[in-house]
Amino acid sequence: MVVPVEPDTIVACATPPGVGAVAVVRLSGPRAVATASSLVRRDVGQWPSRSVRLCSLLRPGPSAEMLDKGLVTLFRAPASYTGEDVVEVSTHGGRHVPEGVVDACVALGARRARPGEFTQRAYLNGKLDLTQAEAVGDLTAAASEQGRSVALHQLERGLGERVASLRSRLIGLSALMVQHIDFPEEDEAPVSLKAVASEAQGVARDVARLVETAPAGTLLREGALTVLAGPPNAGKSSLFNALLGIERAIVTPAAGTTRDAIEAVASIDGFPFRLVDTAGLRTGTEGVEQQGIEVAHRYLSRADVVIVCRETVAPPAGLTARPPEPTLAGADAAAKVLLRTKWDLAEDDQAPEPGEIPVSVRTGQGLADLKRALRDLAFRGVVERRDEVPVVTTRRQAELLKNAEGELSDFADALKRGVPPEAASAHIRSAESALEDVLGVVASDEVLDRVFRDFCIGK
Amino acid sequence: MRARYDVIVVGGGHAGVEAAAASARLGARTVLVTPDLGRIAQMSCNPAIGGVAKGTVAREVGALGGVMAQAADAARIQFRMLNRSKGPAVWGPRAQCDRARYPIAARRALDGLPHLDLFQDMVVGMQFDGRVQGIATRGGVVFEGDAVVVTAGTFLRGRIHMGGASAQGAGRAGEGPSLELAEALERRGLEVARFKTGTPPRVDGRTVDFDRCQRQDGDADADAFRFCSYAREPLLEQRPCWVTWTGDALKRIVAGNLERSALYGGEISGRGPRYCPSIEDKVVRFPDAPRHQVFLEPEGLDTTELYVNGLSTSLPPSVQLAFLRSIPGLEDAKMTKPGYAVEYDYFPPRQLRHTLEVRSIPGLYFAGQVNGTTGYEEAAAQGLVAGANAALAVQGRSPFVVERDQGYIGVLVDDLVTKGVDEPYRLFTSRAEFRLLLRQDNCAGRVGVLARDVGLLTSRQERTLNERLAEERRSLVWFRETAIGPEAANPVLEAVGSSPITEPARARKLLRRPGVRAKALVGTVAEEDAPSFDPDVLATVEVDAKYEGYVERENERAAKLRRQARFAIPEDAPFAEFATLSSEARQKLTSARPTNLAQAGRVPGVSPADLQNLVMELRRLGHTAREEPASST
Repeated sequence: MVVPVEPDTIVACATPPGVGAVAVVRLSGPRAVATASSLVRRDVGQWPSRSVRLCSLLRPGPSAEMLDKGLVTLFRAPASYTGEDVVEVSTHGGRHVPEGVVDACVALGARRARPGEFTQRAYLNGKLDLTQAEAVGDLTAAASEQGRSVALHQLERGLGERVASLRSRLIGLSALMVQHIDFPEEDEAPVSLKAVASEAQGVARDVARLVETAPAGTLLREGALTVLAGPPNAGKSSLFNALLGIERAIVTPAAGTTRDAIEAVASIDGFPFRLVDTAGLRTGTEGVEQQGIEVAHRYLSRADVVIVCRETVAPPAGLTARPPEPTLAGADAAAKVLLRTKWDLAEDDQAPEPGEIPVSVRTGQGLADLKRALRDLAFRGVVERRDEVPVVTTRRQAELLKNAEGELSDFADALKRGVPPEAASAHIRSAESALEDVLGVVASDEVLDRVFRDFCIGK
Repeated sequence: MRARYDVIVVGGGHAGVEAAAASARLGARTVLVTPDLGRIAQMSCNPAIGGVAKGTVAREVGALGGVMAQAADAARIQFRMLNRSKGPAVWGPRAQCDRARYPIAARRALDGLPHLDLFQDMVVGMQFDGRVQGIATRGGVVFEGDAVVVTAGTFLRGRIHMGGASAQGAGRAGEGPSLELAEALERRGLEVARFKTGTPPRVDGRTVDFDRCQRQDGDADADAFRFCSYAREPLLEQRPCWVTWTGDALKRIVAGNLERSALYGGEISGRGPRYCPSIEDKVVRFPDAPRHQVFLEPEGLDTTELYVNGLSTSLPPSVQLAFLRSIPGLEDAKMTKPGYAVEYDYFPPRQLRHTLEVRSIPGLYFAGQVNGTTGYEEAAAQGLVAGANAALAVQGRSPFVVERDQGYIGVLVDDLVTKGVDEPYRLFTSRAEFRLLLRQDNCAGRVGVLARDVGLLTSRQERTLNERLAEERRSLVWFRETAIGPEAANPVLEAVGSSPITEPARARKLLRRPGVRAKALVGTVAEEDAPSFDPDVLATVEVDAKYEGYVERENERAAKLRRQARFAIPEDAPFAEFATLSSEARQKLTSARPTNLAQAGRVPGVSPADLQNLVMELRRLGHTAREEPASST
């Protein structure tokens, strides 16, 4: 990795992921204004410092698809948090919109900020002293620590080991190339380029398997979006509070300002969930309630899991209780848990419908079953693979691993096309350096160490 | 007797010769002082110059106007281009040289330099007064000078070992060590450490059964370090090398006598090079290897002696003879010189600047094995850099620094100064991050122009350089513009299994195909129109076509590094106080004291994140990147 001499422009979501109705994406650095201008297709540089405008946020490229509408605030250096030019973009909350805006900024040339990097720049630009900066760092770390489940920790540890072993295989490949190039007079058998190419492809496949875990990692880091849905008065809010209260894992429950949806983070059986309590779903309403229902549908369309609540109704004599079917338009992709709530109200001889879990917030009945079901539905893949494949949990890791994978397949392709190995091996070096970035280690002369360890070389 | 010079060079090995010659070519009044003028430019180890990476350095030294390429050409009795079956980027020229003729040729080159004097005596003292003032010899002669280049090789407190308790003070077999100079330098507060290296026995070729060995001839069209020597040396009679292999018998003899080895008996403390292991090391570290290669290399045209490459040892002579005779072809061999190990002082090179001047003592320069390197080529390269910079400093001119993307010389010096050494340092292609740029064929354009611009070339050398650069340009144009028809091109294409063409195609496009050689394409043109390009130039053309994309990739990375190198770090930067750097980075930077950001990035233990923070910390102190060219990437 070549570090730029001038500070580059960094971007990140400055609010905790998925929490709150509004998220703030922060850009800082010499190209913050230019990047923001491309994002909103207006000349932000012409605005006075500390002015706020409502703008359409557009995906870069010809499609110019609208990501969101949001408030864009310009802070000119040095009167900003970091002391550099800063642009803050307030978007709708949740995970997808702010990440989309961050991705757009990355596509426009900004770099994803490392944790604590805004604060670090603030310190380096004399905006904070070191103790203040450290305090901010502690807070940031503490907040993210809460969001981490035990499972996440285990998986991240595994990732380091796995990447280190892949890097070691690449160093082995480089050592073969060095032997091939630097020691033509040695007695060792000639290096088989075919074997080298196939080993590179093997490493590429293993890297690809890691990359495939990135969605699971995102799920683990940010929590499974779990929407409570059902008709009004189905007991969703009591259940919501019960799930949060029992685990005492509320980070910041925030009510949507104009939207009748409440989002909160809960740790359930050690796994992170973002629970959303939505407005009751029914048709034929108007005004505020109708808007609330639209919000509910928007959440449903992105949900990982939907908890479908139907209340227990004491049936009039001679009739089967048939509460109204909730409309779950847009939630086709999500896994669903069917609940029969308020089961304490059920008649002694009443049975839940097939597939339903009967629960009662009042007695606590069925909550354990519900939690198990949630964990299984949202994290089964992760839980099953935990011992086998560690999980990539950040986008930074995923991007670096994708680079490495690309370089390795380029290497194999280049050899096939007849590119001389001494040129093609540049790809191996690049892949190595991407893995080193994941690990945060510094390259050294390990390749030569390997050559002299493995081959009896020299006259 | 007293005399005054601009530059005084202590030592007459490969480093000393280049230092003296470079200084003199720059017009500085120079004297070379060495204990035995009859042993100038000795090949103390194997009688060969070059190899992969090393051969490129020899050509770089030549392109800088140095002595080594010319002397090697004059003395070559076999020439091979190593790696010829691979791409031109990794070709390595290598010459077996006549051990007697090489020094004669080197001496002839020195004698042709008007500003250079030679003087025979052992240097025993050095005068300082804030900076270097001069030197004193054993015979009481004092030379005053503004710069002193020390190139003492393995002589500083050198001790040689031939098994058991045989150790004796010596710089080479039969030559006394230099004790006083080592002490004088240590008293100046310089850090000193010990390395060891070794040499194998030699045998009388008349007692070797060559029928039991494999003959290894040089290239039929014996090349040379050529252009770079700026003078074509006539080809001497060519001699083969011979290859044979050790077996179980040798393993038993060596293993059974390990305690008599100075290396394994605990007599030697210094660390030796891993890539040049003694036969004891090979047997111990690779017990499963069934055999080891042994090269019998001719010592010269006027001797029957052979250098037994691959059997470096510190075992006693009787054991050496026994293991020699266990080798096929050497059953009746007579040993003419036993091998030995030598231990010597070196000065860990992180005490130096990129000019090879000692940081703490202005005017004092070190080059060669005293900096912890091995190899004639590595020594010569450093000698040239140190000698040139000593002269330039005396003349009040800017330093001469080869960048990492300009030459292996740049890689070598930068590695020494920023990373230091933990074993005797040798160049490998893998030490260079720009392997496709640093080739044996393009030294003229890379470093020749640097030499020309600083005035390191004689007028004749400069003329040759300009002709060569013009030929490179002509050939690139020829290949880009010449179209070859199917009837001429197809035989060439079919010969390498490439699909035939139906329409005329540009030569450069055809050259991009795997296996197609530039020379063959030139050969498709009718005799009277065919240009006659130098083989080096054709290699340059091939690289241009065959590595397309990859060379650009390296160029881009090099450009980024250049930008980093423009970010200078002040000499007094308080690395230890930079709280945002890891503690390891703070420590390593404090001891390495890089002078620009690119160097800082190569200090082991400094991560990219550390580097980024370093930029910010320096900016916080009001420091900004400067715009003038970097002193060194």
